Amino acid sequence: MIAGTSAMAPNRGPRTMRTFATLAVTAILTLAAPAWTSVAAQQRGSDPEHRLPLTWDRWLDHDEIGEWMQLMAETWPEFLSLQSLGESYGGREMWLMTINNPATGGELDKAAMFIEANVHGNEIQGAEVVLYTIWYLMENYDRIPDVRRMVDERVFYLLPSVNPDGRDYFLDGTGSGARTGHIPVDSDGDGLFDEDGPDDLNGNGVIEQIRKYVPGQGDFRISHDDPRIMEPVPPGEVGDWVLLGSEGLDNDGDGRVNEDPVGGYDPNRNYGSDWQPNYIQGGSMDYPFQLPEARAINDFMMTRPNIAGFQSFHNSGGMILRGPGMAWYGDYPPADIRVYDELGENGERILPYYNYYVIWQGLYTVHGGSIDWTNDGLGIVSFSNELWNGGQYFNSPLLQEQQQDPDSPISGQRSRFFFDDFLEFGDQYVEWAPFDHPEYGDVEMGGWKKLSGRVNPRFLSMELFHRNMAFTLYHADQMPLMSMGEASVERVSGDVWRVRVPIRNERLIPTITEKARQNRVVRPDILSVEGNVEIITAGWVQDIHRPGPTDRVDQAELDRILVRSGAPGRTTRVIEYLVRGSGAMIVEYDSQKGGTVRTRVQLR
Amino acid sequence: MKGPGGVPFPGPTLNLSLDKEWIVRRARRVTPLVLALALGFGATQASAQGYWTHEQLGSELRSLANSSDRASLAEIGTSRDGRAIWLVTLASPGGDPADSRPGVLVVGNLEGDHLLGSTLAVEAMRYLLEADGQDEGATRLLAENVVYVVPRLNPDGAEAFFAATRWDRRTNAAGYDDDNDGRVDEDGPDDLNGDGVATVMRVADPAGAFMVHPDAPRLMKRADPASGEAGTHALYWEGRDDDGDGFYNEDAPGGVDLNRNFQHAYPYWEADAGVHMVSEPESRALMDFVVGHRNIAAILTFGHTDNLVTPPDARGGLTGARTLDLPAYASASLEDVFDVGVFRAGGGRGGFGFFGGGPRLRGAQPGRDNDPNAGRRPSNTVHRSDVDYFATVSEAYRELTGIESVGIHRDPEGAFFQFGYFQFGVPSFSTPGWGMPAAPSEEGEAAPARGGGNGPLDLQFLTGLEGMGVDAFVDWTPYTHPTLGEVEIGGFRPYVTTNPPVEALAELGESHGRFLAHLGGMLPRLRFVDTEVTAHGGGLFTVEATIENAGYFPSALQHGVVARAVDPLTVQIQVDPDDIVTGDDKSATVQRLEGSGMRHTFSWVIRGNAGDRVEIRMRSQKGGSDTATVRLGGDR
Repeated sequence: MIAGTSAMAPNRGPRTMRTFATLAVTAILTLAAPAWTSVAAQQRGSDPEHRLPLTWDRWLDHDEIGEWMQLMAETWPEFLSLQSLGESYGGREMWLMTINNPATGGELDKAAMFIEANVHGNEIQGAEVVLYTIWYLMENYDRIPDVRRMVDERVFYLLPSVNPDGRDYFLDGTGSGARTGHIPVDSDGDGLFDEDGPDDLNGNGVIEQIRKYVPGQGDFRISHDDPRIMEPVPPGEVGDWVLLGSEGLDNDGDGRVNEDPVGGYDPNRNYGSDWQPNYIQGGSMDYPFQLPEARAINDFMMTRPNIAGFQSFHNSGGMILRGPGMAWYGDYPPADIRVYDELGENGERILPYYNYYVIWQGLYTVHGGSIDWTNDGLGIVSFSNELWNGGQYFNSPLLQEQQQDPDSPISGQRSRFFFDDFLEFGDQYVEWAPFDHPEYGDVEMGGWKKLSGRVNPRFLSMELFHRNMAFTLYHADQMPLMSMGEASVERVSGDVWRVRVPIRNERLIPTITEKARQNRVVRPDILSVEGNVEIITAGWVQDIHRPGPTDRVDQAELDRILVRSGAPGRTTRVIEYLVRGSGAMIVEYDSQKGGTVRTRVQLR
Repeated sequence: MKGPGGVPFPGPTLNLSLDKEWIVRRARRVTPLVLALALGFGATQASAQGYWTHEQLGSELRSLANSSDRASLAEIGTSRDGRAIWLVTLASPGGDPADSRPGVLVVGNLEGDHLLGSTLAVEAMRYLLEADGQDEGATRLLAENVVYVVPRLNPDGAEAFFAATRWDRRTNAAGYDDDNDGRVDEDGPDDLNGDGVATVMRVADPAGAFMVHPDAPRLMKRADPASGEAGTHALYWEGRDDDGDGFYNEDAPGGVDLNRNFQHAYPYWEADAGVHMVSEPESRALMDFVVGHRNIAAILTFGHTDNLVTPPDARGGLTGARTLDLPAYASASLEDVFDVGVFRAGGGRGGFGFFGGGPRLRGAQPGRDNDPNAGRRPSNTVHRSDVDYFATVSEAYRELTGIESVGIHRDPEGAFFQFGYFQFGVPSFSTPGWGMPAAPSEEGEAAPARGGGNGPLDLQFLTGLEGMGVDAFVDWTPYTHPTLGEVEIGGFRPYVTTNPPVEALAELGESHGRFLAHLGGMLPRLRFVDTEVTAHGGGLFTVEATIENAGYFPSALQHGVVARAVDPLTVQIQVDPDDIVTGDDKSATVQRLEGSGMRHTFSWVIRGNAGDRVEIRMRSQKGGSDTATVRLGGDR
């Protein structure tokens, strides 16, 4: 295993070397750990042992993600290959795992599902969903026939972290303002970059809120329900407290505090469809795919026209989002909406507490987001799941009813404290404590920690990972899959034959969405004929059960028919050729997103 | 010259900025090029006269850079085919580093067929270098500012000008499947009759949409059945149906028209606009350079779009495009290419699927948007507060170049100069660089009937060019086409409608140099002009600092403010924030300070000790930086 590790690490920088060094140690420890060997040696009960016993109740930083992916790639080398799409701005490798069974075909010959996560640095849990997906598919390939079929029929591209700089900033640092990428941006227009962000003044690893006691001069007061809750005073009354923002200093001496923190843009507004300048879409940067991370992903996807499904995991709110991100250009064509609706509505059944929404309506307007680009610019049926819904803290109808009662200890802001007190044992909250601030004088600091709120509690991870994976596998399973039925041959006269070939897309998603056809972003399907034949006419059979003319294919090259509208989902079409010739002819239907199928027809 | 609102402004004017004697001396020295051959006789001849190959342009630029300590040559990137994209920086030595001075960016030859742009850019640089020390505007421009020049953004496209078979190629070298049929660049123009150019084919065809123009037998018009006309001809681009798909020249070599590849009003999903905005190495190189040089305070581009000869109107809109009919008619033969192969799904049609009726769609419900900003759209017209600045610059352009009306120009969808104003927030201009060829035109013929297809612009252009002695038109000659049979081949000679004859280059180069110097003189110039300290006793002082914008342009155009593209003017007093009692913030900002001598005063009441020196710094992203130091006076 160690030899294998070093063989996979040529030409990588110092940071990666550190990764691999750590990895080697981990690998040895894993192998040597008594628990692991004993479990492997003597299985108990009926549950199958895992080939790679990973734990799913902790959040991994970028190095750990790389180590786990390396471990998986080494454990299942026949299916998995690990690569880096390039480096993030901060020099972290953008690890991408490919799942492909070469025994069932080459990577580009099968429809592929691309699953990514964590484009916003603070929206971390999608990365673990992605890792869980790889692990689950591999562990169960031999055990669950449907898993085996999906792995055999499809290709998966899995990118756990689009924004590894932001992820590490969130997990390894204080995590404040981690949504952004890490290219320095002059957020306050003073010609300096990222010069005044929050500061962890008391060194406890948390950026807290600052409050100051100002008797009779404040606009906040301490709640009667819970002394940890600050509430604004009603109009006409005065409070004893003011809130002074996040923990920090005036680092650049310009008289302002925390006005230019790290980064300062939105890495998910830098994609190529409906990209808008900063004053229309904040944080979009100067032009689409300016960010190295977005660019690396797009460069990869542009070379993989077989990608037919896309998922980008975010948090939070419990949503299954589809585009468009904004209302201006109208909704998708009806044929595409039908596909999305079926996937989304089944998604709502797979994912309780999640709603299927159109982005601009269910969330907010997004210009230049990734799934608008993959749908509009790459012709890929795409979703973005907002992982974790606060309703799941008290996930029974009874408790949710109780939350409506203002006197209940789980109503309003109190619910969060209740959950933290009783289920997290106070782990997510820092109590207010006095602090001598160099600029504000005597203040108090306290507040919620970074993992509270948008990230699910660790003990609820397994269900979140599995249900979201299940939705993406369902999505992947509905990618187009072409097949050909049995051809019929009938002699018309002499050496003129009528040949009919049924062509079917077995699954829900068409080979070319209507949007992709309109935008001309997917190569048309090509229906071609080879053999010693002259094609007199070609036409689509209108109704196989009734006589009548076919819909004539009016193209100059009948041995290479362009099908710009693709093969619709769960539909069989029959092509009819009138040919003159003899021997055999080969009819092939070549689609980029649903594979290529062919049949050999004997003219006799 | 008048500023906005008709008030004369104290900035550089045409009369003041030019040393007339020097102009006259220089004019005598520049001998008009003697030309034996008009443009269009062949590549080699043309190149020698002022339209340059990549290699020739390179040696022009090197000699320019070698001849002066004020010019330096660099590369901002590499084209698809590996050619350098050159940048010349003009700045006099001394003073602030070039990249921290407010500057002008000049870009030419974004469209592959607009070689004129490269030539104008080089000649304008030559003018500036020669005018340095002679002409007040040019001297100050090089001393206080910087001029960045990218003479040829599209070197691969430009090289087609010198190819054995010439056609108006605008695109770069990106392989692109224009007709989306799974084959790339498989059916481009062919020089069927061996005359060195690919033009237009006309075919007698009773089902055709076109007829010979009754007033100009060389030109065609669209038949108008309402006027009793029937089509007699079909029109195509000259070439074979190389891939046998029934279309002629539907997928020519090359991919992206770089001046349709930028972020404002980008023409999504159109074949020559690229797969997305800024998709090309060339456009990306330019964009990375521009966003990395926020000191660029004005942009001048040469290309097929115009806002200089005809400035935005009072409502901020540009005039509509003026394009030739004959090429448009030939292109119309490709209109149906994307309809081939569209087979509608639905009930019947050999299918028995779940489509056909179907459940009610669960789309988004209109009018239920929860985002209050969803309605905000990007501006598409010049802000009303900025319109006068464009008008003034246009007036100067016309006066200095003598160009009163532009020939052909197109709608600036995705054009770089539009990015310059609408997203980068600076005065940004485009001009084709030469005027409508002067033609003996009849009264009332000027306005082309849009959509009428009666070709007055074609005729005007043809007459004008021929009046200048340009061999502008390939006369129709018979040819037996392999699939179309008997055809005639002819039409506008490639490049003549977009590049003037070389005789015109010397004068155009010089006048554009003069305009560039003038434009440079209009840049905002912000400096401290006055400081004042008042002692109130008890260690309290009022400190005042006044800034003047002595340039013509404001420190930020209004749209630059709206688009948050230009940093505000910032003034910072170097004292502890706790020592500021009242007045402005320590870091005080003003969104924009208009030019023509307008002033703004900042004021702080501070605690301090008599005799202390206090520094005040100002920074204007487009108007320069300055520092003032005041001494706190003694107690009253």
